[in-house]
Amino acid sequence: MFSYFIEAARVLLANRTRSILTIIGLVVGVATIISVQVAAQGMAGAVNGIFKGTNANTFIVFPKERQGNNVRAALTLSDLALVQQSVPGVVSVIPFSQLRTMVDAGHKRVRLRFGGESDKRFSTSPLVAGRTLNADDIAAASAVCVISDNAFSRLFPDATSPSDVLGRSVYVGSKRYVIVGVQGKAKLDTAALGLDVSSDVAIPYTTYYNTYQRGSSFFAISVLGAQGANLTSLETQTQKVLSQAHGAQYQYFDFGFIAKTVGGFFSIIGLIVGAVGAISLVVAGIGIMNIMLVSVTERTREIGVRKAIGARSSQVLLQFFVESLLLSAFGCLTGMLIGVGLGVIVNKGFIARISGVTGGIPWLEVIVIAVGFATLVTLVFGTYPAYRAAKLDPIEALRYE
Amino acid sequence: MNRPDNVIDVQNVTKTYASGALQVQALRGLTFTIARGEYVAIMGPSGSGKSTLMNVLGCLDRATSGTYKLDGIDVSQLDDNQLAEIRLKKLGFVFQGFNLLARTDALRNVALPLFYAGMPGKERERLALERLTEVGIGDRARHKPTELSGGEQQRVAIARALVNDPAVLLADEPTGNLDSKTSAEILALFDRLSSGGRTIIVVTHDEGVASRARRILRMLDGVIISDTPS
Repeated sequence: MFSYFIEAARVLLANRTRSILTIIGLVVGVATIISVQVAAQGMAGAVNGIFKGTNANTFIVFPKERQGNNVRAALTLSDLALVQQSVPGVVSVIPFSQLRTMVDAGHKRVRLRFGGESDKRFSTSPLVAGRTLNADDIAAASAVCVISDNAFSRLFPDATSPSDVLGRSVYVGSKRYVIVGVQGKAKLDTAALGLDVSSDVAIPYTTYYNTYQRGSSFFAISVLGAQGANLTSLETQTQKVLSQAHGAQYQYFDFGFIAKTVGGFFSIIGLIVGAVGAISLVVAGIGIMNIMLVSVTERTREIGVRKAIGARSSQVLLQFFVESLLLSAFGCLTGMLIGVGLGVIVNKGFIARISGVTGGIPWLEVIVIAVGFATLVTLVFGTYPAYRAAKLDPIEALRYE
Repeated sequence: MNRPDNVIDVQNVTKTYASGALQVQALRGLTFTIARGEYVAIMGPSGSGKSTLMNVLGCLDRATSGTYKLDGIDVSQLDDNQLAEIRLKKLGFVFQGFNLLARTDALRNVALPLFYAGMPGKERERLALERLTEVGIGDRARHKPTELSGGEQQRVAIARALVNDPAVLLADEPTGNLDSKTSAEILALFDRLSSGGRTIIVVTHDEGVASRARRILRMLDGVIISDTPS
C-alpha cells in the first residue's frame, strides 16, 4: 500500500507543473476558509479581551420605545438619586450625555466628543497630568474639564507635555472650560474599534446639566457599578426601581451587548466567507477531477501497458485514487499552512494592534477543515477518474494514440 | 513441479467480434502447440487475425470458444483479475512502440511488473538491474526513455518483459520502429535469449525478422495456412 504512495508521488513529481496548477484552486479555497477562521478566532479573542480590559461596570438605562406614556417614562434628575440610593452596588449615576461638537482652543478648532463626567470616574483611561474632577467640581458645577489624549494632541499640537496645558481653556460655543487634568491613552484602544463612549472633553455632569439639559428630561442615565459587582443584577434592579417609580418600562445597554453584536457580526462574516470558500472548493474539486480525467485520457497507453504487464484493475484504480488523494492532501495542507499564516498576520498585524490581545489559533478546527476537505475532494472528485482508468480495456488502451 | 512440454496449447480456438449487427470472425478454429524453448514467428497480412491471436495468446483477450492452455493452465475461462495475474507471472510483452513509461527511468520501467507483484523496492531494483545488464544496457539504468536511442528503449522493454521470468516472451513487431542496424542488434538479442532456452513468439510481417525464428506460422483470414520450420 505504501509503495502506491511512493509510485503516485513519483508520477506527480514527474508532472510537477500540472500537479501544481491542479491544486492551486484547492490551496486558495482552503487558505481562504482557514485564514478567515483564524482571523475570526483572533477577533473574538480581541473583543473578549477588550471587554475584560475595559471598565465593564457601566451601563445605561433608558425608556423602552413605543410605550403608552412617553412623558411618564422620561428620566429626570430625581431618578439619579433614586437609583443611587435604592440599588446597592451602584457607585455613581449621572445623566447620559454625549455630544459631538466643535471645541475651540484658541487657534485650533476640532470636532470632539463632549459630555458630563462624575467624580467617581466612568472613564478607564489613566490620568497623566493634573487631577480628575472632584466632588467640589460636581457640587459647584464648575466650568472645568478633563481632556483625553486625543483632545490634547489635536487641540494642542504644539504642546510638548500634557502638564503644559493645565490651566488653559477650551471653548464650547460661548462657554469656557478650564483644563484641570489630561488623560492618557486607554490601556485598550476601544476608540479604534468605535466602541469608546468616554468623552474627549469631560466636564462635571452638573455643569453639563445646568448648561445643556436643564428643564428637559434625559435620553438615558449612565450607571457606574462597584468593581466586581454583578452587572446583570445591577441592571435588572435599576430597571425595576425605575419601572416602579414611573409606572413605565425601561431597557438597559452595556458593553456586553456590543461584544455580542461585534461577535455576531464576525461570525456572520465567517459564515459568508466560509460559504464562498466552500463553493470555491467545489470548483477546485471539479478542477482536480477535470485534470485527473485529462490525465487518464493522456495516459491511456500507459494504463494499457500497466495492465498488459499484469496490473489488476483494482491496482490501477488504487494508483489513480492515491494520486488524487496526494494532490488534494498536498493542496489542503499547503492551503492550511498559508491560511494559518495569513490569519496570524491579520491577528498580529491588525487585531493585536488594536486590542493588545487576540485569540489563539483554533488548530482543531483548522485541521478538521483541511483534512475534511482533502478527504471529501478525493472521495467525490477522485473516484470517478480512477474508475475510468481502471475500466479501460487493455487492448483498446494499447492501441490508443 | 512437473511442467508440461507444451508451453502453449491451443485447441479449436475461435474469436468472434460483434461489430454492430455484423459478426466478425477473426479466428476460425486454430489448433497448434508451442513447445518450451521454441522460437516461433506468426506472420500474415493485415486482417489475417494475427493481432487477435496475439491478444488471445497474451491473455489480454479471451477466446470465444475452444481451449487455450498456457504453461499448463487453462486460461479460457479465467476472469479479468485472474488473467492479469497470468500476464504478471507467465507473460512478457514487447511492443513495436516500446511503450515505456515516459519520465520514468529505465530501472523503474523494468521493475514495474515486480511492483504489481508486490515485491519490496530494493529487491525490485536489484532484479531490474540484473535484467538490464543481461540485455546489455546496465550502464543506462538511470536514464529516462527520452534520453535513450530507439534500440536502447527496446532493450529496456525486453528487460521489462523478462523481469518476471515469464514462460513466454511475446513480441509484436519488435523491430517495426527501428533502423536496420538496430533491428539486427535486437534480433541478435532474441537469438541469444532463444539459445538460452527462452520461449519466444514474434508477430511480424517482416520476412527478415520471421526468418530468425525456427518455426513460422502463417495466417490468412483467421486460419493457419502453413506451419513450417524456417
